Parts: sequence; C-alpha cells; structure tokens
Amino acid sequence: MWLPLLFLIIGVTLGILTDIRIPDAYSDYLSIAVLAAFDTLLGGIRAQLEKTFDDTVFLTGFFFNITLAAMLAFLGVQLGVDLYLAAVFAFGVRLFRNLAIVRRIVIDQKLLTKFRKK
Amino acid sequence: MKRKTQWLLSAVFLLIGFMVAVQFQTTSHETEMRDTRDVWEVREDLKIQQEHQQDLLEKIAGADQTIENYEKQSSSEQVETLKGSIETLEKKIGLQKKKGAGVELTIRPIFDEGVAGQAYPSVSPLLLSRLFNELNTYGAEDISIGNERLTNLSPVRDVNGATYVNNRPIGSLPLTIKVLAEDPEKLQDHMKASPTQDIFNIDNMEIVFEVKEQLVLPKYDNPLHLEILEEAGG
Repeated sequence: MWLPLLFLIIGVTLGILTDIRIPDAYSDYLSIAVLAAFDTLLGGIRAQLEKTFDDTVFLTGFFFNITLAAMLAFLGVQLGVDLYLAAVFAFGVRLFRNLAIVRRIVIDQKLLTKFRKK
Repeated sequence: MKRKTQWLLSAVFLLIGFMVAVQFQTTSHETEMRDTRDVWEVREDLKIQQEHQQDLLEKIAGADQTIENYEKQSSSEQVETLKGSIETLEKKIGLQKKKGAGVELTIRPIFDEGVAGQAYPSVSPLLLSRLFNELNTYGAEDISIGNERLTNLSPVRDVNGATYVNNRPIGSLPLTIKVLAEDPEKLQDHMKASPTQDIFNIDNMEIVFEVKEQLVLPKYDNPLHLEILEEAGG
C-alpha cells in the first residue's frame, strides 16, 4: 500500500513545484476531474473492502468518469446550461454514499468484532 | 495485490495528486490581490492623502467660522454674512462673471486646397463633450463657450443637426472657448499633447491655444432647474 501513497505525494509535489495554473475558462473541467478522481478512489477503497476490487474496472472507471464528466461540462458550456453542476451533484452523492459504506464496513469489521469478543 | 495492479494504482494516484495540486494552486491564487507599490509610491500616496486631509480640515474650519459668525452677530450682520455666502456660492457654480488667468481656445476650420466642394466643418456634441472632459481632467476651473458659461448642469446636445449648449445653439466656426485654470501654461501644454487635437483635425478643424492673463467669463443667466435636488437633512 506504500507505493500508491508515495506516488500520491510525488504527484502533489510535482503539481505544486511546477506552478501550473489553469485558466479560468477551464477551471470547471479540472474541478470536475478532481471530483471524479476522488469518487473513483473511494469507490476503489469500498470495492477493496467488499473484496470485489478489479483493477480493470477501477482503471476504466477512473478514466471513463473523468472523460464523461468533462464532456458533460463541455456540452453544458456549449448549450449555456450549467450541466457541470449535474456532474458535481452526482459525484458528490456517490462520494458520500461510498464514504458511508466504507465507514460501515470498517466499523463492522474492526470495532464490532472487538466488542463481540469481549 | 498483484505487482501490475500496484503500479497501475500508483500511476492513478500520481495523476490524482497532480490534479489536486494544480486545482489547489488555481483556486488559491485567484483571490490574491498583490500590492505592487514600492515604498516611494506608498509615500507619495500617503502624501496625497495627507494633503487631501489638510484641504478638508481647512474647509471644515471655514464652515465653522461661518457658523460662528451667524451665531455671534446681530441680525443685520447676519444678513450680510448670508449675502456673502450666497455670492461665494454663485461664483462657484457660475452664476456670476468671473475674471482670471486662463487659456483661450479657438476652434477654426481647415480647408484642403485639393478637395473641391468640401463641406464647412462643425463641432459635434460628442467632440465638444470630449474636449470639455479633457479640459476638466487637466485642471480647468471654469469653462465658457462663445457666450455660454458651462455649469455642472449644462447640457451639450444635438438638436436637429446643430450643437446646443445650455439649450442654445453654439453657432458656426470659429468658436472661442475660454478656460480659467490655476496653471494655464500647464493646461495648455497638456491640451497640446492630447489626442483630442488629432480628432478635431480628422473633422477638418484645428484648435489654437493662447494663454491670457485676463479672461472674463460670462455668467450663466438661465434659471437653474433644481427639481431633482433635495434639501439635506439637518
């Protein structure tokens, strides 16, 4: 588990050191991409805990979600409708649901088993 | 976890970290307002503000003096003070003649010899407003055009193709604009260097400047329409 964490740190450092700034017009896309990434991440953790993790599903989910969200945002800009808000909403809801499931599994596995042992 | 999966995961994490960092930087730099003035510029600004403060304090002192005069004096003297105040105010807004040093601008037509059948040029309201704005920017205190004194309420309008100031036509060229200023030389220099002259040139007109020690500006003789003004509380 240390390798992904190490790479996460490397990514953050790289991002900060390169001093890249996204123009205002594209900041919506990036924020949605970040949200999609978080969503996929939590989904992956949840799948791991439920023991249904599959790296192909994880990878395709990650890139597919980001692309689809960006396309939706792009379509929204072209149509003059804030469609990216729909993506933000969808990802937000999924994020919290995944988080809740992760929490429940962790509590079930760790805490409750301890209580039962007592 | 398989070796390959771990590397794939690591690549994804790298991407996520990078995106988060970029997003963080984008949002955190947005609100930053940089003050790029150096010490001297700050000092200059401070000096300007101090002068402004001094000016305001002097005005307050003057107003206090007037109030004191009202309170102390007998009724006949009070009337005198009142008349004095009214006269000062009338002078300020242009209801009185005003003398002083200033610049006299003459707007004259230019004729090209080559062009046959050239129309006689005239000053459009747009051009005149621009000229007045420029004069005011460079320190003009009082302006008159022809026989019309410009007040704060003076309109510059187009009426059936003719330019009207104070609801009267300004007439045809050449036009004389008298401008009183504290520093006429400086005003003249500023105006000579301004692009407004070129714009007048495009419309076949030229402006001739002349600094004069003694200029007399006519008074504004229409009634002031002050329906929209309201008495201040107190």
